Amino acid sequence: MYLIFFLMIAFVVASAFVIDDDQPVKIVVPSNFPAPVYNLEKNKITQKGVELGRQLFYDGLLSIDGSTSCGSCHQQVSAFVQQDHDFSHGVENRIGRRNALPLANLIFSKSFFWDGGVFNLDLTPVNAIENEVEMGENLDHVLKKLNASLLYKARFKATYGVDSITTNLFLKSISQFLATMVSANSRYDKYVRKEGEVLNADELEGLNIFKDKCSTCHSSDLFTDGSFRNNGSTADFRFDKGRHEITLADADIGKFKVPSLRNVEFTGPYMHDGSLQSLEEVLEHYNSGMKASASLDPVFKKRDKPGISLDGNEKRKLVAFLKTLTDQEFLTNKKLSEF
Amino acid sequence: MNLKFNKMNAKIKSILLILTIGLLLGFTSKTDDTGNLTISFNHFFKGQKIDFTSEFVNSHDEKIKFSTLNYFISNIKLTKKDGTSYSIPQDSSYFLVKESEIQSKQLHLKNIPKGEYSGITFTVGVDSVRNTMDIARRTGALDVGGTAKGMYWIWNSGYIFFKMEGTSPSAPDQQKNKFAYHVGGFGGYNTKTINSIRTKEFETNGLMVSRDKNPVVAINVDLAGMFDAHTPIKIAERSTVMWGDISTKIADNYISCFKFFNLSYK
Ligand code: HEC
Ligand code: HEC
Repeated sequence: MYLIFFLMIAFVVASAFVIDDDQPVKIVVPSNFPAPVYNLEKNKITQKGVELGRQLFYDGLLSIDGSTSCGSCHQQVSAFVQQDHDFSHGVENRIGRRNALPLANLIFSKSFFWDGGVFNLDLTPVNAIENEVEMGENLDHVLKKLNASLLYKARFKATYGVDSITTNLFLKSISQFLATMVSANSRYDKYVRKEGEVLNADELEGLNIFKDKCSTCHSSDLFTDGSFRNNGSTADFRFDKGRHEITLADADIGKFKVPSLRNVEFTGPYMHDGSLQSLEEVLEHYNSGMKASASLDPVFKKRDKPGISLDGNEKRKLVAFLKTLTDQEFLTNKKLSEF
Repeated sequence: MNLKFNKMNAKIKSILLILTIGLLLGFTSKTDDTGNLTISFNHFFKGQKIDFTSEFVNSHDEKIKFSTLNYFISNIKLTKKDGTSYSIPQDSSYFLVKESEIQSKQLHLKNIPKGEYSGITFTVGVDSVRNTMDIARRTGALDVGGTAKGMYWIWNSGYIFFKMEGTSPSAPDQQKNKFAYHVGGFGGYNTKTINSIRTKEFETNGLMVSRDKNPVVAINVDLAGMFDAHTPIKIAERSTVMWGDISTKIADNYISCFKFFNLSYK
């Protein structure tokens, strides 16, 4: 008798789960990419979860005064950086101290932010939400606002079958959306995956120069090895010591995360401080503009004046190659856009 | 259809299993084999009870008024004379103690196997495992969007183990005389970083846990030592500490402030 009652309860609980089982979304790992770092097992991606994450990403409710959403600083047209800003602009027009990082292929990343201070994608949104110069909010207050919203309560209920919105589900939803931001369909990708795309002579030569002179740091088809290095973009570290701020090691003063170069045509201004405006300026920087300091990468110390020699032709070809990393599908994908 | 049925079957099985385990646990905890224990923290400054209105003076002659005093207690373990020990299960072994919340200063530990325990060990701070664990398991005291509000570094993933804030005429005017000591650091994830995890062990001779005894272990924390126990910390020289090599020295100072006071039964 007891057992039958028991089975009945178990059945009711189990069927509730089955009904809520939403369409799972398979994150396809591009064949030219390494395995994801993010544990997709611990956050089962579903259609509804991604959709909810997208709504949260574009909702100003996450900021103190309703003015700023994640999408305000991470805009799709510019590969999810803030267009034409060197330092990002947040609530009440407060200005941050760093250039925003483009958001793409985050599930393949070992650490986040220019100094790598965060190592779990799930915790990246808290950084923006609680940063005084970004969204200026408190996570517990955001949860209160969400729990007071009939719309969000209904959406979380439909997605996870829960009555109250927790830290975990809120953050996991944003991660679900971020996980779908995979950029791997540029002309370059289709060329290396032999999907019928051809690169012209300049672009191909640019690729070879890149392999020769840039790929020690901007390595693999993620175009970063995830390490922290000093590329001489500045020698003034008074206001931003980069990786040192996390490790406190002297050797790390002035080292910043090697950024991916995907969609780099649209992510300017460049570098952690947004100090370089165009790809041409970036290349001239590597050729002649490098500012030496103690932690400058040894790669750049192979000639008298620090840097990597690039003549006019090489620069032109490199730019041609870098533009093949533009992924139009990603930049215009409706599933990633606000509306 | 078939697939869905199979899936459901697996789910029923796992739920059955969980319910059975739960039931078993439920039964066992009702037996006479376990009891409760309370650990109570009391905060002092040079022997005077800490509150947020009185003024205190540290050994560097600096006047102090406190506004925040929070710290994490975790990984509580009870040891026996014979060398065996009982660890409070991970999911109920994290506590945030706050001077501002009376209840938070009493840690209620349940379902402890009965017996005589000769010692208690705990950590002030949060171990590296919990600092790096999936957020789904960071509930209760470790919920960064709940209880742990303000006790987490957003820019440098990790819990703030110990937070002391207040005002002092020795802190700079342009800072409105505020001082702040935020200590944390679990040793780093990919790269080595500072480690401020500190563990304390006390003798608790005669501590009996059983169904009808409710022992209370009182621990006195005299925070005057935070400023001078090993390394002198002068507000005039260092009014704000967030993340620095000095953090581990401050941790050495405050860990020595935790002292066993007495054992009673309620
Ligand atoms: C005010 C502008 C602003 C807002 C709003 C903002 N960000 Fe950012 N984001 C930045 C800046 C600037 C950086 C780089 C900061 C740094 O490295 O210190 C960044 C970096 C990131 C990164 C790290 C990327 C990498 O490759 O390391 C992620 C992930 C991210 N933001 C997600 C979000 C999410 C999710 C939200 C909404 C909850 C959000 N951001 C809101 C400005 C913003
Ligand atoms: C020794 C490692 C290293 C080498 C070699 C290197 N880079 Fe970089 N690159 C970096 C680092 C580190 C940054 C970020 C520096 C900063 O923000 O201060 C960076 C930034 C960039 C950026 C800016 C991206 C953005 O979104 O802001 C571009 C573009 C770039 N590199 C292109 C190149 C090219 C082209 C080459 C070859 C000529 C090259 N890099 C060689 C380490 C390197």
